[in-house]
Amino acid sequence: MLLALLLTYAGFTALCLSMPRHHDELLSRKPSTRRRQGLKLAGWFLLGLSLWAAVSANGWSFGLVDWFAVLMLSALALVLLLPYRPRLALALAGVSLLASPVAAWAQC
Amino acid sequence: MKEGFRQAMAWLHTWAGLLFGWLLFAIFLTGTLAYFKDEISHWMQPEIPARSVSAETSLTLAQNYLQQHAAGASRWLIDLPDARDPGLTVRWQQAPANPGERGRFEAKTLDAQTGAEVQGRDSMGGEFFYRFHFQLQMPYPWGRWLSTIAAMVMFVALITGIITHKKIFKDFFTFRPRKGQRSWLDGHNAVGVLVLPFHLMITYSSLVIFMSMVMPASIVASYGSDVRKFYDEVFPASKTPERADVAAPLAAMAPLLNKASEQWSGGHTARLSVSNPGDANATVVLSRAGDRVVHDFGRAVTFNGVSGQMLGSTPEQPLAMAVGGAFYGLHMGHFAGSVLRWLYFICGLAGTAMIGTGLVIWLGKRQLKHAKSGVMPFELRLVEVLNIASMAGLVSAVAVFFLANRLLPVALAERADWEVNAFFMAWGLSVLHAMLRPGHKAWVEQLVFGAALFVAVPLINALTTPWNLGVALMQGDWALAGFDLTCLATGLFLAWAAWKMQRAGNTVSVKKPRRETPRPITLEQGV
Repeated sequence: MLLALLLTYAGFTALCLSMPRHHDELLSRKPSTRRRQGLKLAGWFLLGLSLWAAVSANGWSFGLVDWFAVLMLSALALVLLLPYRPRLALALAGVSLLASPVAAWAQC
Repeated sequence: MKEGFRQAMAWLHTWAGLLFGWLLFAIFLTGTLAYFKDEISHWMQPEIPARSVSAETSLTLAQNYLQQHAAGASRWLIDLPDARDPGLTVRWQQAPANPGERGRFEAKTLDAQTGAEVQGRDSMGGEFFYRFHFQLQMPYPWGRWLSTIAAMVMFVALITGIITHKKIFKDFFTFRPRKGQRSWLDGHNAVGVLVLPFHLMITYSSLVIFMSMVMPASIVASYGSDVRKFYDEVFPASKTPERADVAAPLAAMAPLLNKASEQWSGGHTARLSVSNPGDANATVVLSRAGDRVVHDFGRAVTFNGVSGQMLGSTPEQPLAMAVGGAFYGLHMGHFAGSVLRWLYFICGLAGTAMIGTGLVIWLGKRQLKHAKSGVMPFELRLVEVLNIASMAGLVSAVAVFFLANRLLPVALAERADWEVNAFFMAWGLSVLHAMLRPGHKAWVEQLVFGAALFVAVPLINALTTPWNLGVALMQGDWALAGFDLTCLATGLFLAWAAWKMQRAGNTVSVKKPRRETPRPITLEQGV
């Protein structure tokens, strides 16, 4: 479940950054169209990957439940963290991305 | 989408949400607590020790105990301990004195390691929250009907809420704190939208679970008045064989666990039911634990009690029932391990928070109009009192329920009932308090009171029992330790909420006119 959690959190952060308003709030500038599309693509890709991670770790029935659970939790955590600790929220996404290969290795 | 339609939906969302909000808040909070039903029961009956022994060992102990104490019984029931529920429960039914009567049941809880009888204090434990969240402490059909209606209203409120919310995707990541009404609405939307899959699942599945009560038309059409027959066909009860009246020793039951597990491709046994023990016609029925997402209604394997030969097993359930079983399984979450169980708990709290913020928003919006005059109309004051008692009061009542478990004398007659009475008395007093005190003060005082009660739970536990937090941690009993720590965290959270509420009130109180008893304004800091 850990790998899926890391991937959903990073994915949601990327999707969040792909929106000009949030990009501006977090990084103090508007993103270029190219960058926006890149972030959007990366976000959806990570969310898709997390579904695979959850299902491959625990089978379809448990995996889907796990996936929905981490999906909701990571989004909730991100949204509650953003207004209070925006730097930390971004740093966590970076750490999640860095840690995910390790988690993937541990899962296999 | 037409604006008129959206407005109509917003109206429905507002009023359906208000009328059932208080009840739904209580249902969601107690239902959320019920995810830790067994852990709460374990804390409330700490005399029953948690052991890590194999199911085979426990079963052998149970069989020995029953052979000594209940050899002549017509039926034995054995509930095996699991990771969450430490008690090994044995029950037996005496052979009825006259044929046709039901024999008397006796129950004992055993230590899963030594097989000795243990006497837990009389308490409903987590079962109280579980029962309350769909029966509402009302006589038989009424509580279930009311909670079914509440579930339907919840479903309507969710759907209308989605339609009313104009910018689900645009505001997906938006939460702006410290902005008064705006923040409450952001919070309501955030917990609503981000945890929406859970809300929809839990609400829809509750309707599926209640279905046969709410919409019996399909059953009545096929079975007429003989509804019993429908249930007999859907849940084929294992038939009790006749006694042969020839004595024959019961085979050791422990090896049957493995045989059943093979039938279920690795599933575990939760309960064994032995008919006619000690007779040549003894049978043993092993029922499967709810360890899958798709709940399997009444999955069982039957063995001959003397030879140990398998007699039969219930077939795979049909697809339609599997769909129902999936909703049942998802709602109950019996299959969830400790991590997923916590996630369930957090989702439940998010649902509770969504309802609570909705109630606060309803009142906050309308109070703004009366902020200048300082006089609050009766209906707003009523909503305010109900808000306070149904949220802060209920939370305090939960803590009182836990404290009553530790403070009431163990020998008290009808002790379990008194714990429940304490819960409702505390809840009732919170209504009284909310009526007597001005709104904002009542909020702060009840939150502070709740915080103190929750912090007191681990302290009183340490003072009145030998199972304090340190001991629980040393023994690695995470259910006990987790309970104490969660109470402590809840207390700190309530204290924080009281502090926020106090500060929010102070900024407003500057402009409030002097002397008025029903003071409005809970949380607006000037929008």
